[in-house]
Amino acid sequence: MINLVSALGGQLLQRLALLGQALLMLLQSLRVLPGKHGLSRLIQQLYVVGVQSLIIMLVSALFIGMVLGLQGYTLLSAYGSEQAVGQMVALTLVRELSPVVAALLFAGRAGSALTAEIGLMKATEQLASLEMFGVDPLHRIVAPRFLAGLICLPLLVAIFSLVGIYGGHIVAVDWLGVYSGSYWGNMQQAVDFGEDVINGMIKALVFAFVVSWIALYQGYSCVPTSQGISAATTRTVVYSSLAILGFDFILTALMFGGA
Amino acid sequence: MHKRWIEISVGLMLVAGVVALLSLALQVSGGHLTRSADRYPIDALFENAAGLAPKAQVTLAGVTVGEVVAVVIDPQTLMAKVKMQINGEVNYLSIDSSASILTAGLLGEKYVGLTVGAEDEVLVAGDMIEDTQSALVLEELIGQFLLNLGDSN
Amino acid sequence: MAVNGIIEIHNLSFFRGNRAIFKDIDVSIAAGKITVIMGPSGTGKTTLLRLIGGQLQPHRGEVQLFGENIAQLNRKQLNQLRGRMGVLFQSGALFTDLTVFENVAFPLREHTQLNDMQLHDRVLLKLEAVGLRGARDLMPSHLSGGMARRVALARAVALEPEIILYDEPFAGQDPIAMAVLQRLIKDLNDEMRLTSVLVSHDIAEACAIADRIILLGEGRVLAHDTPEALQTSTDPAVRQFMHGEADGVIPFHFPAPPLAEELLCDHASVADNRGGLQ
Repeated sequence: MINLVSALGGQLLQRLALLGQALLMLLQSLRVLPGKHGLSRLIQQLYVVGVQSLIIMLVSALFIGMVLGLQGYTLLSAYGSEQAVGQMVALTLVRELSPVVAALLFAGRAGSALTAEIGLMKATEQLASLEMFGVDPLHRIVAPRFLAGLICLPLLVAIFSLVGIYGGHIVAVDWLGVYSGSYWGNMQQAVDFGEDVINGMIKALVFAFVVSWIALYQGYSCVPTSQGISAATTRTVVYSSLAILGFDFILTALMFGGA
Repeated sequence: MHKRWIEISVGLMLVAGVVALLSLALQVSGGHLTRSADRYPIDALFENAAGLAPKAQVTLAGVTVGEVVAVVIDPQTLMAKVKMQINGEVNYLSIDSSASILTAGLLGEKYVGLTVGAEDEVLVAGDMIEDTQSALVLEELIGQFLLNLGDSN
Repeated sequence: MAVNGIIEIHNLSFFRGNRAIFKDIDVSIAAGKITVIMGPSGTGKTTLLRLIGGQLQPHRGEVQLFGENIAQLNRKQLNQLRGRMGVLFQSGALFTDLTVFENVAFPLREHTQLNDMQLHDRVLLKLEAVGLRGARDLMPSHLSGGMARRVALARAVALEPEIILYDEPFAGQDPIAMAVLQRLIKDLNDEMRLTSVLVSHDIAEACAIADRIILLGEGRVLAHDTPEALQTSTDPAVRQFMHGEADGVIPFHFPAPPLAEELLCDHASVADNRGGLQ
């Protein structure tokens, strides 16, 4: 019994220590302002994290929008209110699906790549080597990647929503014959910029923070062997996905739950 | 060359993101760049404002001219005080205008419909509309209908 | 002990978990010499290099570089000190996103105010010294292992350090690459008046270039002497290592209770091992 309690306590302390380590890493990497080449390093990372995730985001957004248009039309035409399909597509995307799906894709595409990249840098002693040149790897390697994640995901989410809404337009208006005016009109009446779009962006920002943090910490603290890196990459995707879905519930409850 | 392409594509992505956000603001939420800038407040007292919520439309002859910002109780009269914001260019609501709470469709949203009166003097910021017609409450309506039915028999 | 070496280690202890890697060791490395740290794998040779470089902190004792205790330096002072020291990592540790030229230029860009022209000349000179001036525009992924290590060497000496640490420079190299590296290390040491510290377990190569050899084993310094003295040593542990004998006083087993005790233990503890939280 005592053994069990002490084992549980030990586990808990271990977890707390890990969380503390991760937080320290984050604070330390953000403590220093970007140096003279900071901007060009940031641009490099914006390319890797953002531009390279763009295609998968666009394609997913288009298909998700089309599916929403199709499902929405079938569902709503049973009540004779298929004009509301625009409203349904837009609200679903802006409030929920865009932030969540884009963040999940981001964790799979960019997060795992970040973990693997930093893990490999650690395994090939590049991080140790930076340190021996008097350069803080947290500042040089971790900080620009974190910042890039924070900038990219909200933008990608905005693009995701818009492309999804046009995907819904293709199905509902161009194929199924909903009047274009009512597609946009209903949508404009239902969607509130402050309440829906901004809240979606806040979700995106929170997810970007969580995913980038998890990915970078897993890479930075991984066991520098091939097994260690692959385990860390898996952990990044799993933890990120769980964190995204968990935070999504909390944020939704806070934002839309009261009304 | 390669570096140049990276910079250009990153720039493109940033622009695309901002454009997407802007069109979410303008096309999807139907916002106007001059929102809330040029508006004036008008109040109205209703016996019953059942179902009317903030952000409901305020219309004149079916055209949206403003929106409801708050529905509160007036402690003196114990009536519902509906606070509205009317677009600045609609500066011709006469002082004897009337307001009624209407329903879009059978079960649709409640909105406020304004009707302009005959006076030359117009409503200005902070004025109160006196002549109001309350929301229809379905249960009361049915009750009245049954009562009439009973009377005519 | 009087401070006479450029690197002085006093009473140093270091633990990994509960296992002591070093127990109260004292090492003094003389300036201008090539010193090779040798020992069986797992004796903490690379750990010792990291302790010297200040990347690990000792649990007890101190490490002095240029007469300064590195544990007492702040980050800036430590980085300044590191500018006087080059490290060649086992894998080369070239930055994979930079070209060969940029890799060698990296420490110069970080630590000096050289203009582009000076930087260009300095990098080319260093690359010429390792015979890879022609490879300056290649990415590290296009280099062979030996070439990568030579580029890393050029990078390590770019700042013209006073001390250079080599982590297993000969591991996994073909005989020609090995000979090239060996000559480079010796030439650099003589020409630039460097102090070189190598970690190696290749006895022949080490003996060929070392002025002094430090033999580590079981958390202690087994011997610290010239290669000739070690080869003729009568100490059984030194003899075993220097002549590569499988049987001897250096244990082949990871520390464990005696075999008979484990085989004859009651089976209850085996069952314990199988189930439960442990």
